[in-house]
Amino acid sequence: MPADYFEEEEFQTKFNGKTFLRILTLTKPHWNLLTGFLLTIIVVSGIDAYFTFLSKRIIDEGIVAKNTSVLISILMQYGVFILIQAMLVFLFIYLAGLLGEQIRFDLRRKMFNHLQRLSLAYYSKTPVGWIMARVTSDSDRVSDLITWGLLDSTWGVVSLLTSLGFMLAINWQLALIVLAILPILIVVAIEFRKRIIKEFRNVRKTNSKIVGSYNENITGVRVVKALVRENENLHEFIDLTNTMYRSSYRAAWLSALFLPTVQLISAAILGSIVWYGGLQAQYGNITIGGIQAFVSYVTFMMWPVQDLARVFAEMQHAIASAERIFSLVDAKPSVINHPGSIDPGSISGDIVFQNVSFSYDDDVPVIKNLNLHVKSGETIALVGPTGGGKTTIVNLLCRFYEPKEGKILINNRDYTEMTLESIQSRIGIVLQTPHLFSGTIRENIRYGRLDATDAEVESAAKLVGADEFITKFEKKYEAEVGEGGNLLSVGQKQLISLARAILANPEIFIMDEATSSVDTLTEALIQSGMEKLMQGRTSFIIAHRLSTIRKASRILVIEDGQVIEMGTHTELLQKRGKYHQLYTKQFRNQVNQEIDQFVSINPSLGSIKP
Amino acid sequence: MNFNSAASTFDLKVLVPQKKAVGLWLMMSGYRLRYLGATLSLGGSALAKTSTYLLLRYFVDNYFGQGSPTIGLPIIALGFILLALVEGGLSFTSGRLAAQTAEGITRRLRNYLFDHIQYLPFTYHDHTQTGELIQRCSSDVDALRRFYADQAIGIGRITLLFIINFIAIIQINLELALLSVIIVPILVITSLFFFKKVSIAYEKNQEQEAVLSTTLQENLTGVRVVKAFARQNYEIDKFDRENREKYRRGRRLLMMHSLFWPITDTLCGFQMLGGFLLGAMMAINGTITIGSYLAYAGLIVWIIFPMRNLGRLIVQTSTGMVSYGRVIDIIRQNRENLDEGDYLPEGNLKGLVEFKDVCFEYQSGISAIEHITFTAYPGDVVALLGSTGSGKTTLVNLLPRFYEYTDGSIHLDGVELNRYPRRYLRKQIGIVEQEPFLFSRSIKENIIYGVERDISQEQIETAARAAAIHDVIMSFPNGYHTLVGEKGVTLSGGQKQRVAIARTLLKNPRILIFDDSTSSVDMETEAEIRQALENLMQNRTTFIIAHRIQSIMEANLILVLDKGKIVQRGTHEQLLNEDGIYRQIYEIQTRIEDELEKELTGAC
Repeated sequence: MPADYFEEEEFQTKFNGKTFLRILTLTKPHWNLLTGFLLTIIVVSGIDAYFTFLSKRIIDEGIVAKNTSVLISILMQYGVFILIQAMLVFLFIYLAGLLGEQIRFDLRRKMFNHLQRLSLAYYSKTPVGWIMARVTSDSDRVSDLITWGLLDSTWGVVSLLTSLGFMLAINWQLALIVLAILPILIVVAIEFRKRIIKEFRNVRKTNSKIVGSYNENITGVRVVKALVRENENLHEFIDLTNTMYRSSYRAAWLSALFLPTVQLISAAILGSIVWYGGLQAQYGNITIGGIQAFVSYVTFMMWPVQDLARVFAEMQHAIASAERIFSLVDAKPSVINHPGSIDPGSISGDIVFQNVSFSYDDDVPVIKNLNLHVKSGETIALVGPTGGGKTTIVNLLCRFYEPKEGKILINNRDYTEMTLESIQSRIGIVLQTPHLFSGTIRENIRYGRLDATDAEVESAAKLVGADEFITKFEKKYEAEVGEGGNLLSVGQKQLISLARAILANPEIFIMDEATSSVDTLTEALIQSGMEKLMQGRTSFIIAHRLSTIRKASRILVIEDGQVIEMGTHTELLQKRGKYHQLYTKQFRNQVNQEIDQFVSINPSLGSIKP
Repeated sequence: MNFNSAASTFDLKVLVPQKKAVGLWLMMSGYRLRYLGATLSLGGSALAKTSTYLLLRYFVDNYFGQGSPTIGLPIIALGFILLALVEGGLSFTSGRLAAQTAEGITRRLRNYLFDHIQYLPFTYHDHTQTGELIQRCSSDVDALRRFYADQAIGIGRITLLFIINFIAIIQINLELALLSVIIVPILVITSLFFFKKVSIAYEKNQEQEAVLSTTLQENLTGVRVVKAFARQNYEIDKFDRENREKYRRGRRLLMMHSLFWPITDTLCGFQMLGGFLLGAMMAINGTITIGSYLAYAGLIVWIIFPMRNLGRLIVQTSTGMVSYGRVIDIIRQNRENLDEGDYLPEGNLKGLVEFKDVCFEYQSGISAIEHITFTAYPGDVVALLGSTGSGKTTLVNLLPRFYEYTDGSIHLDGVELNRYPRRYLRKQIGIVEQEPFLFSRSIKENIIYGVERDISQEQIETAARAAAIHDVIMSFPNGYHTLVGEKGVTLSGGQKQRVAIARTLLKNPRILIFDDSTSSVDMETEAEIRQALENLMQNRTTFIIAHRIQSIMEANLILVLDKGKIVQRGTHEQLLNEDGIYRQIYEIQTRIEDELEKELTGAC
């Protein structure tokens, strides 16, 4: 599932003081930025209110008093404050923004670094999309809360308070009218915001459904055409776009209603001021400038109120985001280095599984009481049905997981007494669906050993026979492989991952053979590459190819988490048991597949011969 | 919502030959009145706002100045509230109408594109990337929505605000008015310049965001590789680099913003200051009243500050234009007409298929099949054998008129194929692909997908049993309601194919095209599938794209294809007696069993 699916997950947590405090501690390393922008924003909102006060003085002391020199001096003051304000505005935008970028940066780094430590168990439970959404949108949301949220609310509160202060100073009765209506304004604004946010979420949800619908109809266009489903599909789609229309329209009219409503309440305040102020003016209790100031303060007030409402409405989501981030950061890796674990310097030697049992979820055992002794340098082929436990055995061997019961000994030492790095850096692994990283071919091969020279990279490629197709690219080793290697074919990716493994010069080699067929030439190259890798190394192959199986020193038939048959190819065939059954089936399938490409009948014939 | 009016039947194709501006105007067809209403309401709302300040002027001049009030205080107070009501009401109306317009246009566009794309011919889909197409239908359509919802109306709003308030200030004093807008051109140019830069910096920031996500995603999906090579630190460094770059670009964007706002603040501030000075002097001199000064001080804000946003809107409009072009590119493509053709039989086809010298080229000059001639009688089984790219699939794709043959003729029941409407042909022809595409809905819905009549659960199960898939479906916890692709439930290629067989059984076509799969299934299932197939093939003219000889030995006609030509033809017996590819393959396949036997006995 894509990341945006998880972004829109409904998470409505109650305000949680603990989480909020923890969010605040994120700013600790950047306390100077935080205090800097908070101080600036306080001064800025003070000056904002002061501008209005200056305007009042222009009228009262300048215009009404007809005093040009006072007018000029007030205006000069005004000008100076404009310049000061400009500098302060620069500072607060910059400081708050910088803090935001910093927090984002920190959160992403923290999560990524922690993710590297987490064990495979975490990844098998947690969808990639979920993690992606935490690192991308959630970190944005939290940093926005700390920066713009904090900024807007500080600005809002200080502006409201200073405005009220000035209003009280000008005329306290009028100020009290404003104060009485203010809470209504705030509540209305918050209620609006909440609904608007909810509607926009609906819009985004429907939007991802629409995109999904496009995706499916375009990918499946051949079926649609063959079954003449066009009309019905359009009807289903129109249902979706109608939902979309309703949600977006509702979101839009709520937004359109929001400002006028707030303005209307302000107007009510304004009306009261005019009415009451007018009466007062008749007794000389308020000046023209005073009325003007009130009008300005009241019309201006809806901005801080709006901002406060937005921050408040979004806060819950941001806190929910933070909780998810913290849950990720707090997750404990299940496989860790035990105290006193060592790096033995080498892990070649016999590998022994002693009464090993394992289960992913506590109730379903995947490996049951497995006993196995592999001599150094042996090639072990693991065969058996999907879900039988082949991959789990490999995962245990790599110590991606540890046995729930029993022990795994490498060179007579329990492998939990060694460091993870000492084991994993000496194991070479080639996966069924080879995984490459964006970047050049050279970078991908060098992933096996980071300090390898260019010549070493190329000779590794030559050794597995990848050199031939690589040099056909215009940019050769500098050719980009695309996201996840998608510019290359499966066979090519596998060759590169073989080269990568060979460069690492591992002591144990593990390979999960691909089930999908690749062209005959590439297949032959992969086979010979594998053989090079297996030479002199203890190898475990999850095998699908007959030739691989036949060449193994021992074959293990794994079913239901147990070894049900073990022996060489000939021994097992003679048994006429499970292996015999699997082999004959596989034999027919494979040969049939080869024959499908019967342009190249003759070359493929060679591989049939035992 | 009167969506089902003329607005929904509007054919967007008329936009294609037009210039962009005209196209955008035409696209509004059916919504223009509403949009006009939105604009007028905006103007009304701006007018009400301006009037508020004029009322303020009256209030101040008459209650504080020399004038004698003829209107009572409560009425003035009420006037303020009334004006706010008008202003708010009209701005709300405008927002609603604009939303109706923008969302309505977008909905129509989305529906049109969706429908258009499913009618575009195979030749279009062959050359178009799914991701690219989806991008255009989502982001580009959204950019157009924003054009109508925010940009066009936003530019209108700023213009109206300017005009109305400027006129109001002229009423107060012409000189004052002219001197108050000196800054406006500078402001507009600054904001245009700035937002151009910002949109570039923003793009760069987004790009880096994408890079960062990719890095993360590759790390997460490749976690086994990372761990297997113990490359955690390397990965951390890599991510850190990209993360830092993101930080750097973010800071750059931030720097621009933190410069733009104070700079324009200062520009606006000094313009206002100048205005205040001039206005105040005029008020002192008595050129204007104090009330006028107050009104001026309020109005000037609405002339100057909105101008800062004009640049943003104009820059965004240009992105909208680019999106428009990309969307029109899709609309420009021609649909295939499902009902084109002058021969529509009353009943079903009999299934007599005659190919005469049929040729087809995907691109001119490169032929995919050449001079194919053969006849299939009703109920016949025709097997097509050949390597990948030999033209098997192309040949059968001509029958439902997915592609139009470029030369020769195909007769169906004695009538030229392209005289039949495509809709009729496709209803009469059933296709079972090797690994059929299933939709992410329930298995049941997939089985009845494309069948128009009502179908009972019983019929569905009968079809599923005949397709040897019923037991598999029942083994899922949710049975027929299991969602395809749902967590934990993945159908193998063979199972998908059997779902498609069930689907085709319900469709009950007269001609059947079947891509025989090599996907591995055990012997029992294999036998079940054979049985399912035989059920399916009964009384239908069947074309089998074959991969192995066992499945085609009973075919009435076997065509061996190579590079688009028929190289051998006949029945199994005839072909065995001929020298050629067919016998070679047959021998290899029979040798498989021999060799297997040899190996097994050798082992004993």
